[in-house]
Amino acid sequence: MKIRIRWIRWSFLLLALAVLAGLALFKLINEQPRLIPAFLVEQVRQPDLLEYPEARRCADCHQEIFEAWKKSRHSLAWVSESYIKNSENRSKEKCLACHVPKEVVPGVKPDPRLQQRDDGIYCVPCHVRNGAMNGPYDLFSPPHPTRKNADYRSSKFCSTCHQKTFKEWSDTGSRQTCQSCHMKRRGGRLTQKFPLNWMHVKREVADHSFPKGDLVTDSLYVQGSFTDAAFMVRLVNTTVPHRVPTADNGDPRLFVQVTFMDEKGGELDGDREILSPQQDTALIYQKPVDLQFFPPTQTQSARIVLRYQPAWGKERSDVVSLTVQR
Amino acid sequence: MARYYSFFMVLAVSLFAFPGTLPAKDMVLKKPPASLDKLYPPQSKEPQFIQQMHKMSGSFGGVFVNMKEGDWENAEKKAQAFVEAYEETSKMVPEWKDYFDLKAVKEFAAAVPSRDPAKIGKASGPVGKTCGKCHGEQTVAVWTRYHWPKVDQIKMVDPVTDKELTYGKFMHEISGTFKGVTVNFGEGQYDRSSKALRDFKKRYMELKSTCSKCHTNDAVKEFFVGQPIAEAFDNLARELTAAKPNPGNFWKNVGTIGKLGCKQCHLTHRSYAIIQETWEEE
Ligand code: HEC
Ligand code: HEC
Ligand code: HEC
Ligand code: HEC
Ligand code: HEC
Ligand code: HEC
Ligand code: HEC
Ligand code: HEC
Repeated sequence: MKIRIRWIRWSFLLLALAVLAGLALFKLINEQPRLIPAFLVEQVRQPDLLEYPEARRCADCHQEIFEAWKKSRHSLAWVSESYIKNSENRSKEKCLACHVPKEVVPGVKPDPRLQQRDDGIYCVPCHVRNGAMNGPYDLFSPPHPTRKNADYRSSKFCSTCHQKTFKEWSDTGSRQTCQSCHMKRRGGRLTQKFPLNWMHVKREVADHSFPKGDLVTDSLYVQGSFTDAAFMVRLVNTTVPHRVPTADNGDPRLFVQVTFMDEKGGELDGDREILSPQQDTALIYQKPVDLQFFPPTQTQSARIVLRYQPAWGKERSDVVSLTVQR
Repeated sequence: MARYYSFFMVLAVSLFAFPGTLPAKDMVLKKPPASLDKLYPPQSKEPQFIQQMHKMSGSFGGVFVNMKEGDWENAEKKAQAFVEAYEETSKMVPEWKDYFDLKAVKEFAAAVPSRDPAKIGKASGPVGKTCGKCHGEQTVAVWTRYHWPKVDQIKMVDPVTDKELTYGKFMHEISGTFKGVTVNFGEGQYDRSSKALRDFKKRYMELKSTCSKCHTNDAVKEFFVGQPIAEAFDNLARELTAAKPNPGNFWKNVGTIGKLGCKQCHLTHRSYAIIQETWEEE
């Protein structure tokens, strides 16, 4: 009986000590990392992380970010079918820089890389610079050195490759960064590996799936009106601070399809226009565009449908649809 | 072997400058031998053949640079490096071994220790000729095969019919609607001409979407598909909807599109496509 009580006491004491040690370590790591002796840090460093490991290696700890990135177009930049086709089976030298970059130095066109090309635009080229993981935070990470770098929350970072989109964005004078729409942040942890994850405070994690952003009726003003001889469609990109669509080398498109109908709703005729960055017809931020169509005389109504086709595929999806009476 | 030599193009390069004094020369543009494929992307990561050329020209030129500086020790070293590089190159493309003259190169290297610039210069002559002969006969073929992207890899989607077409077939569509515009205008059928113009413009401007498949610099779009062409299209549209279209204005703008658009683009881009196509037809 006595032995058992003593054992329980001891284990309580040990537990309390462990919790204290944990808290101390937590404090140390999150608030005073510089007090940790360098030789101890060296013990836990994993130098391969800075030597172009494959993306999956980062998932050992950054599982959630990895899975988000896997869903992004960046992860497909080298294996994308349309990229392969357009780069003559990847043989065009001048295409490599942005599709398999070696190191992203904000604002400077990258050099191409030879390692892990299948991972396309991935963690290492976007984060490793001068022997450390560069990122938005000032923090201490045992496995690899880190460095806070304010560029990660600025559009300049993306301008490295999205050169034309960046130029369009700059011209609008917008204060919203690319990240604020295409890399939204929410509360969470940077790592998922137990117990390492509990040793770090909660922070904000940016969405590494780099969602394209939805075109919705409120981001685009679409209106149709009949004049004497013509049918006019007015379009305004009211909210997106770059052209819609926007591109560097890709060829995303918006099709403005107009169908004319008689009084019974029977289709008479139709025509369409292409809004595309490659043809310089994409919608400039807040600049109205008027397209002219020619309805047959019996026309009673017109249907306007906007279809979007992404840079990387041929499938088209309807984004806006409305009908206008004569 | 005969496979690669059986199809070739003959470009007559007439030497107009000296009629009668020099015989006209023919230039034969053969498809480069298959063994060269291994020395260029995509088969090799680097353009090895070009790198080898730099190796040769670096050591060959290095002999003369050192000679001028009176650095004979290094001149001899470069001469040795050159012999090695030259021999190496002569083995890279077996079909081209006859372009090389190993004997002349050895004689050149043997002349360097004499430290006599006149003698060295004389011995370099035959070597330089082997470089020049091959360059004259093969450079354009190599550029066409390995540097000029293939237009037949570009699939066009016709903006009028949504059909996928080869680049060449698409050109025929463009050409067809262009005629639709002009022929109908000539017949006074302005409505039809106007409708054809809308399709023609869509097709023509679709070409603008293809520049980025080969060029990474948008500035090229000022040519063939730039402002003057866009204006010509607008002027045509305006002319065709006018109460009384003015033929003078109409044909002037047709001329702009034909010259600044079709013709100039063909002059810069089509020759290579024609040669490539001829090589493919086996
Ligand atoms: C296209 C470049 C790019 C790629 C690819 C990329 N990141 Fe990031 N990463 C960023 C940017 C930019 C930020 C800063 C975002 C912010 O906070 O607004 C960031 C932030 C982070 C952060 C700090 C937390 C956060 O979300 O702000 C971590 C950790 C991180 N990335 C890990 C990774 C890992 C692991 C991968 C690969 C699976 C990866 N990143 C791929 C650009 C990239
Ligand atoms: C063994 C675990 C582990 C692995 C593997 C790992 N990291 Fe980390 N990483 C961490 C920890 C821990 C942090 C700090 C987390 C915190 O403080 O919230 C961190 C932080 C980061 C940051 C934030 C830097 C900053 O200053 O904002 C980036 C970026 C990052 N890692 C990138 C990577 C990349 C890229 C890889 C793969 C090459 C990788 N990490 C692999 C554990 C790891
Ligand atoms: C190293 C070059 C590079 C950098 C840096 C980069 N991108 Fe990209 N991005 C690309 C390429 C290339 C693609 C196209 C990949 C594909 O689809 O094959 C792309 C695709 C995208 C897409 C998807 C587009 C679509 O059609 O769905 C978005 C959104 C995007 N990037 C946003 C960003 C943002 C935001 C940043 C900055 C935080 C950024 N990118 C930084 C090269 C880069
Ligand atoms: C206010 C939010 C917002 C900001 C800021 C923003 N975008 Fe977008 N972006 C969108 C929306 C919405 C779409 C989808 C509409 C579209 O297709 O253009 C989009 C689409 C894209 C696409 C996909 C291609 C396309 O147009 O279909 C890319 C690439 C892109 N943005 C890159 C960037 C870059 C790079 C920046 C910073 C220079 C940036 N965006 C800033 C909202 C934004
Ligand atoms: C300056 C950086 C840069 C260079 C160089 C570059 N790209 Fe891209 N590429 C991008 C970006 C950014 C995107 C993302 C979508 C967009 O902006 O078009 C992209 C998207 C694409 C897409 C559409 C996405 C997909 O996967 O299908 C294709 C195709 C493409 N590029 C082909 C090429 C080809 C071919 C070359 C060489 C002639 C090339 N790119 C050179 C930056 C670049
Ligand atoms: C058997 C044919 C052949 C011989 C012999 C030859 N060359 Fe070349 N050389 C070529 C071809 C073909 C090219 C064009 C390569 C290209 O642009 O891809 C070329 C290109 C070059 C270039 C330009 C490289 C560049 O960056 O564009 C140099 C310099 C050169 N050769 C030097 C020499 C010298 C010096 C010799 C003689 C010692 C020599 N070559 C002999 C076939 C030859
Ligand atoms: C099949 C590939 C291909 C396509 C498509 C293409 N070009 Fe080119 N073009 C070339 C090559 C190769 C050159 C030689 C120089 C170079 O590489 O830029 C060239 C040269 C040019 C030049 C001469 C000077 C310069 O800047 O290089 C202009 C101007 C030009 N192209 C305009 C265009 C325009 C405008 C389009 C689209 C309407 C277009 N090209 C489409 C391959 C192409
Ligand atoms: C952007 C450059 C460009 C422009 C502009 C252009 N072409 Fe072409 N065209 C080409 C190329 C490249 C070929 C070679 C296609 C091939 O061999 O497959 C070609 C081939 C042709 C052909 C022969 C098709 C075949 O079967 O090979 C015709 C006909 C033609 N073009 C008509 C026109 C007309 C008419 C215009 C102006 C209204 C025009 N093109 C404007 C680049 C252009």
